[in-house]
Amino acid sequence: MEHITNFAELIAAAKRLGPKTIGIAAANEKEILLAAADAQEQGIATFILVGNQPLIREIASAQEINITGMIVVHEPDARKAARRVIELVNLGHVDFAMKGRVETSVFLKAALDREHGLRKGELLTHVGVMEIPGFDRLLLISDAGVVVAPTMEQKIAIVQNAIKVAHVLGVEEPRVAVLAATEMVNTKIPTTMDAANLSKMADRGQIRGGIVDGPLALDNAISEESARVKGIKSPVAGRANILIAPDIEAGNALAKAITYFAKGKMAGIVVGAKAPLVVASRADPHESKLVSIALGVLLSARGAR
Amino acid sequence: MKPIRNFGQLVTTAQELGPRTAVIAGARDREALLAAAESVQRRIADCILVGDAAAIKEAAAAAGVALGAMIVVDVADPERVALEAMCIAGRGQADMVVKGHVPSDAFLRAALSREANLRRRLLTHVGPYQIPGVDRLIFISDGGVVLYPTAPQKVEIIQNAIRVARLLGIEVPKVALVAASDRVNPAVPSTMEATALVVMARQGQVVGGLVDGPMPLDVAMSAEAAAAMDIDSPVAAHADVLIAHDVEAGNIMGKGITYFAGGRMAGIVVGAKVPLVLGSRADDRATRLACLALGVVLAARGYKEIWG
Repeated sequence: MEHITNFAELIAAAKRLGPKTIGIAAANEKEILLAAADAQEQGIATFILVGNQPLIREIASAQEINITGMIVVHEPDARKAARRVIELVNLGHVDFAMKGRVETSVFLKAALDREHGLRKGELLTHVGVMEIPGFDRLLLISDAGVVVAPTMEQKIAIVQNAIKVAHVLGVEEPRVAVLAATEMVNTKIPTTMDAANLSKMADRGQIRGGIVDGPLALDNAISEESARVKGIKSPVAGRANILIAPDIEAGNALAKAITYFAKGKMAGIVVGAKAPLVVASRADPHESKLVSIALGVLLSARGAR
Repeated sequence: MKPIRNFGQLVTTAQELGPRTAVIAGARDREALLAAAESVQRRIADCILVGDAAAIKEAAAAAGVALGAMIVVDVADPERVALEAMCIAGRGQADMVVKGHVPSDAFLRAALSREANLRRRLLTHVGPYQIPGVDRLIFISDGGVVLYPTAPQKVEIIQNAIRVARLLGIEVPKVALVAASDRVNPAVPSTMEATALVVMARQGQVVGGLVDGPMPLDVAMSAEAAAAMDIDSPVAAHADVLIAHDVEAGNIMGKGITYFAGGRMAGIVVGAKVPLVLGSRADDRATRLACLALGVVLAARGYKEIWG
C-alpha cells in the first residue's frame, strides 16, 4: 500500500478502490450536491440522497449540478433523514453515511441509536486529515470535532482510531504526537500526564500500530529544529504524522488555524461506528467535501471503520 | 491614534514615543543583546542588562555589540537574576522587564514575588500576531500564562486584550470568543461560558470592545465561513482579538499560526506594575525588536494608569 501524501493521491486511491455507495442525510445543499456529482463523475461513489426532494432538485437545477443516476428519497425532516440514512447502512443499501444539512449532533445521535444505529461498542471520534502548503505529508488531527473533553479512556480510543486512519492512508507506523502546552510533565497540567501515559501504553503495546510520544508542544511535534533547540529526544519530535489535541477546543482551533491562516485543506471523517461517517463542516467548500468522501471510500474499502 | 497594523508600524511608533527604559533579565543571551543594541540604536529603549557581568561582556564581544551606554548590573547567582531585574522595575527604575536567558517560570515567579513589589492584578498574556495575508494584527489571549481560567479570570483576560489593542490604536476592538462550535450547547462548556461573557460585556462588565461568541476560528476571520454558517455578527470575519478557551487552545492556535502560516508573535504579559516582555528562543531579530517596541508603546501610552 503506497503512502498517500496529498489529496490528489487520496482521490486517485479512492478511484481505484471505489465506487462505494453513500447515503447523504439532508442532501439539500449546494456544496454537498457539487461534491456528490464530482464523486460520481470520477467513479469514486454513487449516492442515495435523502432529504427535501423538491429542494434537492431545485438546487441541482439552479446550480446546474448533474445528479442523474442518484436515487432521491423524499424526507424533509432533517432528523428523520439522518435516521433513514443510518437505516440504509444497516440494510446494506449503502456502504456508509454522510452528513448533509443536518446538525452534527443530530446525525451522530442517529448513528449512536441503541436499536437502529451503527454502534460497535466503541467511541466515535473525529479524524481530520490536513493537506498543508509547504508540508511534505498529510497531517492527521484528532479530535477536532466530536469528543469534547476526553477522559484518559477516551484519549486511548482517539489515538487508536487516528492510527487506523493513518494505516489506511498507507502510513505503516505513524508517529503520534500527544500535544500539550508544554513538553514537561506537570502535575498541575493533567493533559501532560495523560500524554505521558499514552506514550507508555504504546510502548507496552496497549496502543498498537504507531509510535506515540508526549507531551509535546506543537512546535516540537512538527519542527525538528525546534525540538533540537529545546534538547528534546523523541522518535516523534519533528516527524509527527498524527497530532492528538488535549481537547476539542485546542483541536478545532488548530485545524481552523491551519485551514484559514495557512491556507490548508481539511477532510473529515468520524470513525468508531460500524461504517465510516463523513462529517464535513458547512463552511467546507465542495472540494474538501469531495476529499472527505474519498477518505470514507478508502476506509470502507480497506475494512477500517 | 492611528491603528498599528503590523510590526513595522509598531517599531516606528516606538521610535516616535521612545526611548523608554528596558531591564533585561539574563542578558548573556546573544540574540537578546543584539535586540537590545538595535533598540538603543533606533532610540526605542535604553537598556539595563542584568546577569553575570563577565558572561554578558563575553557574549557582547562575541556578538559584536558595544555595551556603551547600557548599564550592566552584575548578578552572579543565576537564581537571583530574574528577581534583581524585577526589583529594578519595582523601584521605578525601568518601564518594562524583558525576559532574556532565564526560564519563563522563574521570570514570572519573580514578577509575582513580594520582594519585587510589581504585583498588582492578574497577569495575562496577550500575543499580537503579524500573519502573512492578514491586513491587521491579530491579538490572541491567553496562550501562555493563565492555564485554566475561571470566569472572572476570563473577564480580565478579555479586558486586558481589549486594553492592549486600544493602546495600539484600535478604537473598538472586535473580540471573538473562540469555540469549537457556534451553537450554545451544555455539552460544550466553552459555548456556555461564551454566552455568559457576551451578556456580561453587554452589561458593561467588559468595556471598550465589541464581544461576540461562541465563534469558531474560521468564522471569526472569514466572511465566507460566516456566510456558510448563517452567522450575522459585527465581529465575524473582522475579529481583532481571539480569546481562546484555555491555555492549551491558545497555545496550540498560536503555534499553528506560527509554524504553518508563517505568523510572528510579539508577546507581552500585562497586569503587573510594568509590562513584561516574554519572547521565545525561536524568535527572529525583527520579532524581538517588535516585542521591545510593544513594551515601549504600552509604557508611553499609559500602561501605568491602567495597571500600575
